[in-house]
Amino acid sequence: MAVYRRGYQRYRGDLTGRWARLMVLPRFAWKRLLEQRLVVIILVAALFWPLACAAFIYVSNHSELWPGLDRDFAKMLQIDGQFFVIFMNIQAVFAIVLAAFAGPSLIAPDLANGALPLYFSRPLTRLDYVLARMLVLVGLLSPVTWVPGVLLFAMQSGMAGGSWIVDNWRLGAGVFLGFLLWIVFVGLVALASSAYVKWRIVAGALVLAFFFVTAGAAELINEILRVDWGRALNPGQAMNQIWRSMLGAEPMRGPETAECLIAIAVMTGILLLVLERKLRAVEVVS
Amino acid sequence: MSIGEINFDMTPVIELQDLRVKLGRREILQGLSCRLGVSGKGKAIGLLGPNGAGKSTLIQTLLGFHRPSAGSARILGLDCHAQPRQVKARVGYMPENEAFIAELSAVAFLRVMGELSGLPSGVALEKAHEVLFHVGLGEARYRSLGTYSLGMKQMAKLAQAVMHGPELVVLDEPTNGLDPAARARMLKLIREMKDDHGMNVVLCSHLLRDVEEVCDEVVIMKSGRIVHHADLEAERRSNRRFVELEVTGDDRDFAAALREQGVDGVSEGNGKWRLVLPPATELDVLWRVVARQNLGVHRMTHRRDSLEEIFLKAVGHLKHTPGEAAAVEPEVASHGRL
Repeated sequence: MAVYRRGYQRYRGDLTGRWARLMVLPRFAWKRLLEQRLVVIILVAALFWPLACAAFIYVSNHSELWPGLDRDFAKMLQIDGQFFVIFMNIQAVFAIVLAAFAGPSLIAPDLANGALPLYFSRPLTRLDYVLARMLVLVGLLSPVTWVPGVLLFAMQSGMAGGSWIVDNWRLGAGVFLGFLLWIVFVGLVALASSAYVKWRIVAGALVLAFFFVTAGAAELINEILRVDWGRALNPGQAMNQIWRSMLGAEPMRGPETAECLIAIAVMTGILLLVLERKLRAVEVVS
Repeated sequence: MSIGEINFDMTPVIELQDLRVKLGRREILQGLSCRLGVSGKGKAIGLLGPNGAGKSTLIQTLLGFHRPSAGSARILGLDCHAQPRQVKARVGYMPENEAFIAELSAVAFLRVMGELSGLPSGVALEKAHEVLFHVGLGEARYRSLGTYSLGMKQMAKLAQAVMHGPELVVLDEPTNGLDPAARARMLKLIREMKDDHGMNVVLCSHLLRDVEEVCDEVVIMKSGRIVHHADLEAERRSNRRFVELEVTGDDRDFAAALREQGVDGVSEGNGKWRLVLPPATELDVLWRVVARQNLGVHRMTHRRDSLEEIFLKAVGHLKHTPGEAAAVEPEVASHGRL
């Protein structure tokens, strides 16, 4: 029977489980995000550097193609922790840009349109909501971060042979876990910005501002106080130090890995606090 | 989990036991206790009270938005705080304020809401179309919600609340901002929800007429407490005994004749009488007495407590209703004129 003739009937069938409900928001969000031309352009642009890195890996594993190659220069072509640190630093920037474009559309419109009571009156907790929104960003940022990183590691493994994997397994694990850490951090910055201001464009600007301002503040502290621990306040540099430690690359001058981890943990705590304060079904004015 | 698994035996729809809720340092709900409705019966409960009485806080606590500082709140036998997922799967909520997802069409909006409530994807899409036609938005279902008028948004909010076929629908000011035709349609839909689909409804409104038209029970709140809980149907029945009568002719023996029939009456002079009929007594008795006394009836009015009177009395703006005045002064009535 045609739906307009049927009339309303109460649904009395089985309900889906928690995880199926949790994936509803990411599914619809991904669909809407991929309809945005700018997001697709950034996604495509973010793949050029991994392609260049793939070419580099190919060249470094086929030195016979370059018969006159200088021995020192050939040494520079090694695929090691430093190579992956450079790769990750470039891709990390794309992750920030993508998060700045995609993140604000996740929470700010819900706050502006009063949609939170609709979500939270359903079997969806605040934690579920944040998790669902984070999954959107994890899904979006993965193709430009750990997925190409792990593919590059696999490519190098395939070309260099089994012994290379045994000697360098921590590179693969470091790329995966390091990027996952970065995605979660950038995702939290994007979600907190989106929850803090209801205007989408301002929220996007706030994501970029967060990284610029913290970097500027870190340099300012270093210059004024003539110290180098200020770098821990720059999430980009703090994460870079953590990655270097994970990948076994030479550490940067400045704060130790543990100090960088503490700084990132504190910033994560603050971002979570913002989300906890802002994401409520009803605003209580005390 | 299936909606069909729920036990419908005499479980109250809402059960509050010394419910206290603090927001900041202020105690908004101050020890509410009551049992409202019976699950599966399809009854509507009206929630009334002046501004700041705690109606919205009560609704929000039932939906798990606020944690009780003491006591408990149960919906359909489930603890709102300890079993929030189970409770929310059985409840539909229409908030008072504007609430929708931007840039989505009504169909997409309802589909998301349905899937979040636990409907399988295909069913959610089908139900979205079905419910939108039901609330009268069928032709506009592919339009963005942002382009809807206020009345259409109210209907869309109602649609998302009933999308998953909940047992209890909580409606917060559903007729806000509606023109008379849209208001009538909204009330008709609410009546259908309980009468045709067996849903229980909690209607929070400051429009007494809406509550009177739709609800079977009413709870009146004031300053965070329940000041009156009434079965509206019983209230209506009990109040049928108040009658105002205006007669012509010699009515000196009228009071005695009425008393013989068990009817108390007060003369207000000039042939005007206020009568109190016993519960089992029908109006025919009055007509017979009037005929025997050779009186002419100029006017007869059934007086009953309107919900407005019940409400004003409960919140302390009215000491008692005019009908009650007659009932509490029988000795005066039996002696005829005041």
